[in-house]
Formats: sequence, C-alpha cells, structure tokens
Amino acid sequence: MIKFRSKEFDLTLLIIALILSAMGILLIYSAKHHSDNSVEKAIYIKQIIWVLVGISACVLTFSIPLRFYEVFAYVLYLLSLLALVLILIIGSSKMGAARWISLGGFNIQPSEFAKLATIFPLARYLAYSKRSIYSFRWLASVVGMTLLPALLILRQPDLGTSLVFFAILISMLFWSGVPLFYVFLIISPVISLICGFHEIAWALFFLILIMLLYRLRPAFLFSVGFLLLNLAFGTVTLVVWNKLHDYQRQRIIVFLDPGKDPQGAGYQIIQSKVAIGSGGLVGKGYLEGSQTKLAFLPHQHTDFVFSVLGEEFGLLGGIILLGLFTFLIIKGILIAQKTRNTFASNVAIGLISIIGFQMLVNIGMTLGVMPVTGLPLPFVSYGGSSMLLFWVILGILLTINSRWYEY
Amino acid sequence: MAEKIKSIKDSPSPHLSFSQSFLRRSLTGYIPREKRVKILLGFLGVIVFMLIGRLFVLQVVKSAYYYRISEDNRIQPWTLHASRGVVTDRNGKIIATNRPSYTVSLIPYEVSETFPEKKSFEEGRDLTLLVEKLASCLKLDVLSLQEKIRSNWAKGYEPIKLKKDVDFNTICVIAEQNEDLPGVIYQVEPTRKYLEAGWVGHVLGYVNELTREELSKDSTQERFRLGAVIGRKGIEKQYDDILRGKDGMTYLEVTARGKPLGPLEEMKPDPPVNGSDVKLTIDLVLQAVAESALTDYKSGAVVALDPQNGEILALVSKPGLDANLFAGTMTTDEWNRILEDTLHPLLTRPIQATYPPSSTLKLLTAAIALEEKIANKNTYLSPCGGSFKFGRRMFGCWRPEGHGRLNLEEAIIHSCDVYFYQLGLKVGLERWSDYAQLCGLGQRTGVDLTDEAKGLVPTLSYYHKRYGRGEWVKNLIINLAIGQGEILVAPLQLAVFFGGLATDGKLYQPYLLKEETTPDGRIISTQPEEKGSLPFSSSTLRVLQQAMIGVVNDPQGTGVLAQIPDVCVAGKTGTAQNPHGEDHAWFVGYAPADDPQIVVAVLIENIGHGGTFAAPVAKRIIEKYLREDLPQGQEFTATPNE
Repeated sequence: MIKFRSKEFDLTLLIIALILSAMGILLIYSAKHHSDNSVEKAIYIKQIIWVLVGISACVLTFSIPLRFYEVFAYVLYLLSLLALVLILIIGSSKMGAARWISLGGFNIQPSEFAKLATIFPLARYLAYSKRSIYSFRWLASVVGMTLLPALLILRQPDLGTSLVFFAILISMLFWSGVPLFYVFLIISPVISLICGFHEIAWALFFLILIMLLYRLRPAFLFSVGFLLLNLAFGTVTLVVWNKLHDYQRQRIIVFLDPGKDPQGAGYQIIQSKVAIGSGGLVGKGYLEGSQTKLAFLPHQHTDFVFSVLGEEFGLLGGIILLGLFTFLIIKGILIAQKTRNTFASNVAIGLISIIGFQMLVNIGMTLGVMPVTGLPLPFVSYGGSSMLLFWVILGILLTINSRWYEY
Repeated sequence: MAEKIKSIKDSPSPHLSFSQSFLRRSLTGYIPREKRVKILLGFLGVIVFMLIGRLFVLQVVKSAYYYRISEDNRIQPWTLHASRGVVTDRNGKIIATNRPSYTVSLIPYEVSETFPEKKSFEEGRDLTLLVEKLASCLKLDVLSLQEKIRSNWAKGYEPIKLKKDVDFNTICVIAEQNEDLPGVIYQVEPTRKYLEAGWVGHVLGYVNELTREELSKDSTQERFRLGAVIGRKGIEKQYDDILRGKDGMTYLEVTARGKPLGPLEEMKPDPPVNGSDVKLTIDLVLQAVAESALTDYKSGAVVALDPQNGEILALVSKPGLDANLFAGTMTTDEWNRILEDTLHPLLTRPIQATYPPSSTLKLLTAAIALEEKIANKNTYLSPCGGSFKFGRRMFGCWRPEGHGRLNLEEAIIHSCDVYFYQLGLKVGLERWSDYAQLCGLGQRTGVDLTDEAKGLVPTLSYYHKRYGRGEWVKNLIINLAIGQGEILVAPLQLAVFFGGLATDGKLYQPYLLKEETTPDGRIISTQPEEKGSLPFSSSTLRVLQQAMIGVVNDPQGTGVLAQIPDVCVAGKTGTAQNPHGEDHAWFVGYAPADDPQIVVAVLIENIGHGGTFAAPVAKRIIEKYLREDLPQGQEFTATPNE
C-alpha cells in the first residue's frame, strides 16, 4: 500500500513539464501549418498523442517503487544493451543512420532508453561499492558501464546521444563525492582524444595535466598511469590525423562539427540564427515567423524547434523557456539533495543531468555556439521516444521526491 | 592532547604554500553535499547566463541585421565555378582551354512569386504564356521545354537549366524582355574549348555534365553537384581529379524578387580552387603530320613514342572524334550518328582496338629461336617454294612464287612465311607464348588513358579450353609464329615492344602526362619509369636490329618505302589477314637505328600490304621528327586561356 502524502507530491514539477509540452505542441503546429502536405500539417496531433502517452507513462512510473530500479538495475541495463546491439544488426535505416526499431508502426529509439537504463547500475555501484575509488576495479566498472552503451550508440552513428552518457557519468561521479580532480582525470583521455587534432592545444593540455599531477601528487603509479593513457589517446589522434588525406580530415571535421561544412549544416545554422535574431525582443507573433513559414528552417519541428520559438516569441519567449528549464533543474537538484537514500539521490542527479545537458546542447546549437548533434529539446521537440523518456524521467523524479525521507 | 593531535592532522602541512593547499583542498578533498549543491547551481547559473547572453546578442544587438536578411528574403547559395586546367602539348601549345558560355535558366521560386496563387506548375496557366515566349526566344520546342520545366520543378532557388550555350544575340533579346520573362536568368559558365579537332577527342577525351542518375547512383560523388562537369574519356577522365579543381560557394543576400544585394556578411565565401594545368608528352607538330599522313585512309592508328623514356609523342586514331561536339550541347541526332557509324569513331584504336600483329611478330619468333640457340642468323631451313605442307594442310607464303633458300636474317628481311612456319614448330607453342607474355604482349601497357584493351596471347591451356585436350593444338604455333591466328595486340603494345627491341631491351612505361602545374605554381613532372626489359640478350637483339635495318634499307626488303635519305630507319612490315575484308597494313619502325629517338607503329585497316601503305606513313612521321631543317608548321599558334 503506497502511503500518499500530498505535501510530498511536487505539483510544480508536473506543471512545468506540462507547460513545456504545451509549448512544444504550439511550436510544432506553427512549424508545419503552412505545409502543403496534409500529413505534415497534422503532425501536432501526433505530438498531442505522444504527450498523453507520456503523461500515462509518468503516472505508471509513479506507482513503481524505487526498490524496483535498484533490484533490476543490471537487468534493465543488459536489456538496453541488447536492444542497442539488435539495432546495429537489424535496425531500419533513416537519414543514413540506423537508430530506430520499428514495432507495429512505431519507431522505437533504444538509445533514448539506454540513457535511463545506464543511470541505475551506475547509481547503485556508486552508492554501495565498498571498493576504493582509486582501485582499478572501481574505475574500470564505472567507466566501462558508461562507455559500453555510448560506444554502441556512437557506432549508429549518433555522436550527440553518446555524449549524453559522459554528461551523466561526470555529474554522477561528482555527486557521489568523487574529488573534482579525480573526475577530471577520468575524463582526461577523452579531452586528449579531442585535443589531439591540434598539436599545440594538446601539448598545452598535457602540460596542464603534468602540472596538476605534480602539484597534487597522487600516488606515483596512478599519475604515471593517467599520463600514459593521455599520451596514448593524444598520439593516436595525432598520428592518425596526420596520416589522413585532406578530404578525410574534412569529413571528420564535418562529422564532429557539421557547422564547418559551409554548404550543408552551416546553412542550417545560419538560417536558425537568422530566425532567432530576426525575432527581436518580443518576436514576430505566433504563426507569423517568415523564416518558419517559408520552411527555410530545416528540422524546425524536431531539433530546431527553439528557432521557431525565438522567431515568433523573441527574447521574451526564450527567457521564459530557459526559466522553466532552470526551475525544473533546480527542483531536481534540490530533490537529490534532500533524498536520504544514496541510490535514489544518485539517480535523481543522473536524470537531471540528461535534461540539463540536452537543453544546453540543443539550444546552444540553434544559437550557433554548439555543434549540430541532433539532440532533441526535452519535452518540446517533436518525437515519441524522446517525449516518453522525459515523462518517465519526470515520473521517477516525482517518486524519489515523494519518498525522500526513506533510507 | 587528543584535540591537539587532531588539529595538527587537519591543518595543512607547513611546507605547502597557501595556493597549493587551496588547490589541493578544492580539487582532491571531499566536498560535502551542501557545497556540491552550490557548485551545481553555480554551474547551471553560468550556463543559463551564457545562453541568455547569446540570445541577447542575436535578438537585441544584431537583431536589425538578422531581421533585414529574413525580410529581404534571405540567402541564396551561389556556385563559384572553378576553372578547369588548361592542357598543352610538350612545347606549351594550348590544346584545351575554357571559354565563357551562356546558360539560360528559370528560377521556380520567382515564377511562383510572380503568380502567387499558382503553387504548383500544373496550376500555373499563366506559365504557358511564359513557356511559349521562352520557346520562341530560345528556338526550342514548346512541349519539350514544358516537360523540362515540369520534371525539374521544385519550389526553390535552384535554377532549372533550360538551354546551354546560348548565343550572345539571344541573350541580348532575353535581357531586353526582362520584364515579361519573370524568373528567367542567364549565367556565364566556363565551358571546355578544344583548339584542335579530330584526334583530340581520342587523346584528351571530352567533358560533360553529371546526370541526376549518376549522382543518385554513386553516393561517393557527394563533392559533385548536379550539373558539375566531369571528364568522360581520355586525359580528361584519367586526370579528372587534378584538372577539375574545386568549385567554391558564395552566399548572397537576395530580395524576394531575386535581386542580389551582395554577399552575406557572416558567411565567408568559399573560394574556388582552379584545376591544375597539364602538359602532355604529345608534340602537336608531329601529331598534325601523323594526322595528315592518314588523310587518305578511312580508319587506322598511329603511335609514336620516345623509346628512351616512354613519352608518347603522337597518338592518332582514325576516324577522329570532335571533342567540342561533346563539350557543348549535343543533339540526339548527332549522338546517334556517332553510335551508328560503322567505322566506330568512339573507339580509340591505338589502345582500345586489337589486331593480329602479323609479320611484325616474326621478330619475336626469331628472337626466341636465337635466345634458345635453336638457330643463329645464318641458319638455313628447308627452302621456300611458296607453301609449306604440314600434315594434310598447306600453309602458303605471301609470295606464291616462293623465296628459295634463306637464312634467318634474310627471312626477316623478305618476311618469308615458310621459314617462320618451320622456325615456329622448332620453338614450340609453350615456349613461344611464355616469351610473348614476358615481352608484355597481350597485357595492358598501363598507359595513362582509361579503358585500355588487353589483347590476347594464346597459351596451351587457352587452346585446351577452347578446342579440348589434344596434342594437335600445339601445331597452331605455325600460324602464331607469323603473328596470325588468335593473337591480338593493340598498336601501343607493339610500339612498346619495338621500343625494347630498339634500345637493348629496355621497356619504358608509356605515358602522356609530362607535367602538372598546380594552381599555386608547383610543377610536378612525371618521371620515366623503366618497367622491365625484354628477355633477350644483347647479341640476340643485335641480330634482330641488323635484320630490321635490312627490312628498310635492303633493296629486297619489304619496308623500303620507309627509307629516308641520311637517316637509317629500321623496322618491320606486317599484313594482317582479315576475314571480313581487305588486309590490315602494319609497319612498326624506329630511327635512327644506332641511337633510336622515335618508335612509330602504324596500322591502317582494310587496305592491303603493310610495306605499301603503312611504311610511307611511318616514314613521314620519322622524317618530320628527326629532320629539324623541315619547316615547322605555323598553323598551331593558339590563343591563351580566355
């Protein structure tokens, strides 16, 4: 019997999510209502259905006790890995990348649920493992658990989604009390890998790393291990990079940052910036965005939905949306803070980091400050799997909130 | 006491400076939950502040700029054409360059703006009027023009190309009627121009536009856009990558009417990179002489190369192929005429057509016999009485009255078939085909032209596959020994082989690209490549060389018509039997015999004896090349790149 204490049910979280979803529906309607295609025009109805499905999923989630996620953490994790492997083998191909599994007319995106399923074992391990955080077994478990789904998704290829896993890892490590410097060391090989494209940048990073290690003097073998790891990752990129042909390099640059491709994605970013910039302080008015109307904006109902908002509601609309997200994230952090159960607290931070990271990358992309990675804006962008995921996330957050006093 | 110990333990070690201990504490120490929350909230604050700041920049600071772009109906990407590299001969005379041509196009978006109520092409009745007017201007058929517009119709700025290479007068007419022809534009595009006719189509090939089907079929061509020009044959295809360069792109701000306001401020144009200029090994003067030497014949091939390095000096294929025809717009009629021509003008004979080498290959049979010590130059075989009986079959000599008693050298000079039937039987099929392959016959030379033919050197296993396992097939050597039967070689292969015979066995890789000059002025020269040598000793080669001098200079020789005063020419004639008509005439020769500068292979189809028809052609080419005192042609003064 679930004991329901009304004062432990956070209505504001629910209301924010509902407002965001409603904004999404309005923006999707605006993005597509000028379309000649009647199917496209009615796409907002599909979104309404998804929101309703999401809300039901949220209610359903709310009735699942937290113990369930803890007990079945590894089972859920393995199931999601299985789905990711499956999709690599049989996944239907859309837009050149296999990300969907078709199930009775619906396209399911397993990578969305892998994000969720990775949080549970990570939270459980961080909460209960008795191992020293400086032991190899601990490090390998934590990094391996994150890297496995991330690499499978990178293979699809979906760079954006696989980066979400690193955001989850970093915030959960930090939250479970791992010292900042150690968090930095753990992700340093990835930084080396990326910096390796540029010799000077990498040398600089390596120098900083050596200096920090020298000043902070962790165990000697430990320092040497991380230095070697960084050296290896950095040189791999350096060597491979210098051996590539110009056009191959160009291809990688465009893959990492499509904005660098002046004839492809760069055009999208410009159009998005024009849409947002032309919106001004209060926007051109609902359904009045000329960029939106003339379909100059690509993917304006999915990844670039924020551009529609920026054009039609201006700075005001943008600040309101950002305010809602900020409020949502602060609420989430506060839930994590007050929750007594370490596992639940870790889960809350993991969940909130997904929302925060996707908001940052998505909005940053439409503003031309982040690479085009195709991450949807939580609750707002068109898309079933994403909508479902965020309502489930909300459901779990509400559950944690209602049981914060339990150990 | 206990408290004191604790305080010592907690306080930072005395030798650490303040900053060091601060760094240590904040980075490696345990952070309590309350502090973690503060850090997280601070981090969130920074992110949100940055996003709002960026929004502020776009929507307040630069709002007017973006608003103008969105109002003025935005951005139009515009291709900046890279100009294709210029092709010159070995002396820098221009063979292929670019000229401006006008293309008339229609921009669908602007047409639908003019007739706003008509969204699609089908609804646009008023369009019929426009199409009719355009058709009369461009002298095109109304229905086909309508179909062209309909099939390419898309609501956008991508222009539909209506007619390419429109003459300047028509452009003036269109410009005058600007008001009545909404959305009709003309663009200048660089178009390939070949300054030589005939042979250029074979050596240089030609260029034309990539079709929609090709684009969708091959996704690796992503760097191409629709309508990009690519090389289709010859040098243009082989070196397409270096000749093409890379098209650039600029982004224009345009009004709703399509009037360009100027380049978009924040999007730097991506400038085009022109293609590299290319210098060929071809000598235009020699090429022209070779062309004119073939004037009287319908079809044939000439290859001239430098045996000391493999440079191809002249390459002629008759009938010629006018590359300009392909570079501009070609009508279906013109294309069908080329396809249906029984002389196959698309076939580049020196590399793509294969023929029996006939008597020119007697040199191979002789070389094997010498090398394997089966014969020396004074070996006599049964005298030639005009035919040779083997089993129940009679094999005739080309001279029915016979040659009488001959030694090896005389047999080459007189090209006696009966002598070589016997010599071939002594050499044997297996040995013969092994050597033929070692000499590079029946294999691609690897010349830098596409679609080279291989030819065929029949081997024992080839015959077994074809005729079954019988001992008798070995007797087919009788025909092969005189270069008849199944053996097929391309003229270029034979020229390379003779280049080897002339220069103590060195086989050079034949090539056409002498030099590449990149847009930034770097010159990359092709280095000659020795790709092997003939499997014959120099004493063997000397006998053959002596015999080849005899072929041309002995009064009884079959190649006397290739004689040049003051120059010692050597070579070998051949007359290939052709079951479909007259014999093909061969002559392959080189000069000067003591220091070979040029090898020429001549093949004339369906004409008769090699000594009668092919030898004089080779003579004219060698004469031009070696006798500098002959006047140089002045007709090749070409204008520089326009």
